[in-house]
Amino acid sequence: MSRVVKKRFTPKVLPVSERLRSFGEVVLGYDYETSVREASRCLRCPLWFAPCSKACPLRVKVPAFLEYIVKGDLEAAARKVYEDNLFPSITGRVCPQEWFCEGSCVVSKIGESVSVGLLERYVGDYARENGLDEKILAEMVSKNSGVKGRVAVVGSGPAGLSAAGWLRLRGYEVVVYEALHRPGGVLAYGIPEFRLPRSVLDHEIKKVENLGVEIRLNHVVGKTVLLSELLSEYDAVFIGSGAGTPKLLNIPGVDLNNVYTANEFLTRVNLMRAHLFPEWDTPISVGKTTLIIGGGNTAMDAARVALRLGSKPVVVYRRDREDMLKTARRDEVLHAEEEGVEFRYYLQPVEFLGDENGFVKAVRFEVMEPLNELDERGKKKIVGTGRYVEIPADTVVIAIGLEPNRLLMEESGLRFNEDGTIAVDDHLMMSLPGVFAGGDAIRGESTVVEAMADGKRAAEEIDLYVRRKKGLA
Amino acid sequence: MFRVTMKEDLNEQDYYLEVEAPHVSRHWRPGQFVIIVTHERGERVPMSVATINGGRVGMFIKKLGKTSVELYRDFKVGSSLYAVAGPLGRPLKLESYGTVVLASDAVCGHAEQLGLAQELAKLGNKVISIQTFKTEKEVYPEKYLAKKYVDEHFITTLDGTAGYKGHYIDLLRELLARREVKAVFAGGVLANLKKLAEATAGLNARVYALVRTIMVDGTGMCGSCRVRYNGVIAYACRDGPWFDARLVDWDDVLRRDARFKKVEKIALDKYLAR
Ligand SMILES: Cc1cc2nc3c(=O)[nH]c(=O)nc-3n(C[C@H](O)[C@H](O)[C@H](O)COP(=O)(O)OP(=O)(O)OC[C@H]3O[C@@H](n4cnc5c(N)ncnc54)[C@H](O)[C@@H]3O)c2cc1C
Ligand SMILES: Cc1cc2nc3c(=O)[nH]c(=O)nc-3n(C[C@H](O)[C@H](O)[C@H](O)COP(=O)(O)OP(=O)(O)OC[C@H]3O[C@@H](n4cnc5c(N)ncnc54)[C@H](O)[C@@H]3O)c2cc1C
Ligand code: SF4
Ligand code: FES
Repeated sequence: MSRVVKKRFTPKVLPVSERLRSFGEVVLGYDYETSVREASRCLRCPLWFAPCSKACPLRVKVPAFLEYIVKGDLEAAARKVYEDNLFPSITGRVCPQEWFCEGSCVVSKIGESVSVGLLERYVGDYARENGLDEKILAEMVSKNSGVKGRVAVVGSGPAGLSAAGWLRLRGYEVVVYEALHRPGGVLAYGIPEFRLPRSVLDHEIKKVENLGVEIRLNHVVGKTVLLSELLSEYDAVFIGSGAGTPKLLNIPGVDLNNVYTANEFLTRVNLMRAHLFPEWDTPISVGKTTLIIGGGNTAMDAARVALRLGSKPVVVYRRDREDMLKTARRDEVLHAEEEGVEFRYYLQPVEFLGDENGFVKAVRFEVMEPLNELDERGKKKIVGTGRYVEIPADTVVIAIGLEPNRLLMEESGLRFNEDGTIAVDDHLMMSLPGVFAGGDAIRGESTVVEAMADGKRAAEEIDLYVRRKKGLA
Repeated sequence: MFRVTMKEDLNEQDYYLEVEAPHVSRHWRPGQFVIIVTHERGERVPMSVATINGGRVGMFIKKLGKTSVELYRDFKVGSSLYAVAGPLGRPLKLESYGTVVLASDAVCGHAEQLGLAQELAKLGNKVISIQTFKTEKEVYPEKYLAKKYVDEHFITTLDGTAGYKGHYIDLLRELLARREVKAVFAGGVLANLKKLAEATAGLNARVYALVRTIMVDGTGMCGSCRVRYNGVIAYACRDGPWFDARLVDWDDVLRRDARFKKVEKIALDKYLAR
């Protein structure tokens, strides 16, 4: 075997100076030559062994599609990816590959792992830009004969879109019910366009619609239509309602003005385009300094949005950088750092302080320190020191996580776990026969790719369930 | 989709707007609201539901800022709204209380009265309605008042040019002294709801208020609408918008309502200068 190239090829990236006031995409990706070179770094592990593919929740056959890139046959590469993943332009951009494929790549033992994510994105974008994706999907869907049944999908986030797509490919009629006026879930309201451009997301959604999936916007299941109605109208229901409700800090001053949850802050900008106010109607109010409390993807996104709104962002995390990289995608941390986002570690907020008009003016933190002990998730346990610091800020974004949205709960009579997630069995079915669920709704906060994998598996389980019910299997 | 089917002036500031939204009207119950979006660039704006006519949803809207003014000026019968979502919020769990009072002094409150009055009457309550306007000139046309659904109806005006002189709180105080009122439902100006909560502090009756907060999604996803209720944080869009008035932290509600005052003015001025 030829010598392994230890260093990965770097993609084109928008210069920092151009990012500061722009929502344009930051990572511009590979060109053809670089993608071939990067794909050539792959050792072509046999599929039964390839750890990258095994670590991928969608089981994308990584070495197989990389081999086609090396050969220059991008259409074949795209076909290979589409066998397992309908949304490579999305996952290639937002997956934390270091926890999945790239994290287990053999090459990482002696050098840097193969950039599977950027290559997947390259193939996905190539297919999209050349109309291949529609062609491949049309071929895949044409393999069906007749309609096997009708399925309702609740929520149009990654879990719902993936379930809808795979169900269509299995020959089902699918209607997606979405509460908001735009489909996409967190992809539309949470992840900023400098990471996932609107044009890409819109295309990926259109693709699902072109397969014949109907998306009914402005429909809140549990309010506009009831689960019981869906059950009588459809053969099965898939719930991909996400982990929609933000956790708030239960400390004094949390009600002050300009204290946002990350979901409000990001939704105002990403979904409602408040950065284009007043050309767009939704306002946002940010001051000179924005403190972002938390250390996950949401915190990174909020910080980088604040920066682009002209505020100075300071991310305050109660643990250290090493632990932060266990919750946030590495690239986003690196980009935030190079864009000049300031980071403060080992600080836990205890109080928000307000001015005489009820706007936040500072946050008081307790200084924390690590113990020599790890928690269940492998992060260092921390304790308070009894020492306090105050950081002035006129805007605060709380990004400490989400819990499942209880909206559906009220009406449905379904069984929920203590933490609010939906309880499902090994077949992703809930306590109500014919109702399946996946994504953040069952996992709590997880990842785009895991939500998509749930949607894909649910499609398989639903297919089996419906065929059994109809005596076809 | 979401075609405007009717638009009428209620007075100089407020207007009636009816849109086609059969998906909303099917399950709507009193206490629930809708969110409308004018056009692709529009804001998600919550509105109380005044009327349901088959698949059409009618609202009372006040010309206040960019969205409500634009909607009045640029949308005609036949135009379409970009989005109408709902019904949102929790329906009020209404009972047979006995004598109940409905009170309002602004658009959303007047709108809510219509649905509430009909439902409360159906449940066998004796319904008294008080609707407060600034002067006689502002009083809504009769067909948009709660009058036809209730046992007793009072108009009050602040200057006394029509009906009782004073605010609904003044009249309510008098009624409470004379009658055994079992429940009060009030909506409108937030500062006056705070006064209502104070005025009914010791009263042995239910007192519910429409807590109007600034919303984005209206589904419990963002926390913009949060309000301190009985010491903990509640989401008005998901847990409300009707709450026990005496457990609401009104100072918190009033403060958060002023969050975007500065920028809202920019949007309106820019629209008007077009
Ligand atoms: C700011 C942010 C950044 C993130 N960054 C990353 C990242 O870089 N990489 C990564 O892998 N993961 C990331 N995540 C996590 C990832 O986005 C989620 O795990 C994923 O979106 C879950 O998908 P889902 O389909 O289960 O739910 P969601 O994406 O939450 O979608 C749920 C959808 O259901 C709708 N819905 C809810 N209730 C109802 C109802 N009753 N009726 C109708 N519709 C309803 C909602 O409106 C929403 O559109 C991030 C999350 C956030 C918040
Ligand atoms: C449950 C509920 C029911 C309502 N019912 C009615 C009604 O029946 N008729 C009516 O005219 N208005 C109603 N409102 C208020 C209405 O949503 C706002 O007046 C409207 O958003 C103003 O938009 P604007 O652009 O015209 O004014 P802006 O200049 O944008 O705002 C003026 C004021 O309206 C409020 N407001 C602004 N944006 C929002 C928002 N996104 N959500 C809530 N409030 C906001 C704030 O108090 C703000 O200071 C209701 C609000 C809620 C929460
Ligand atoms: S583990 Fe790495 S080297 Fe092996 S097939 Fe996957 S990408 Fe290629
Ligand atoms: S408006 Fe977003 S949670 Fe209520």
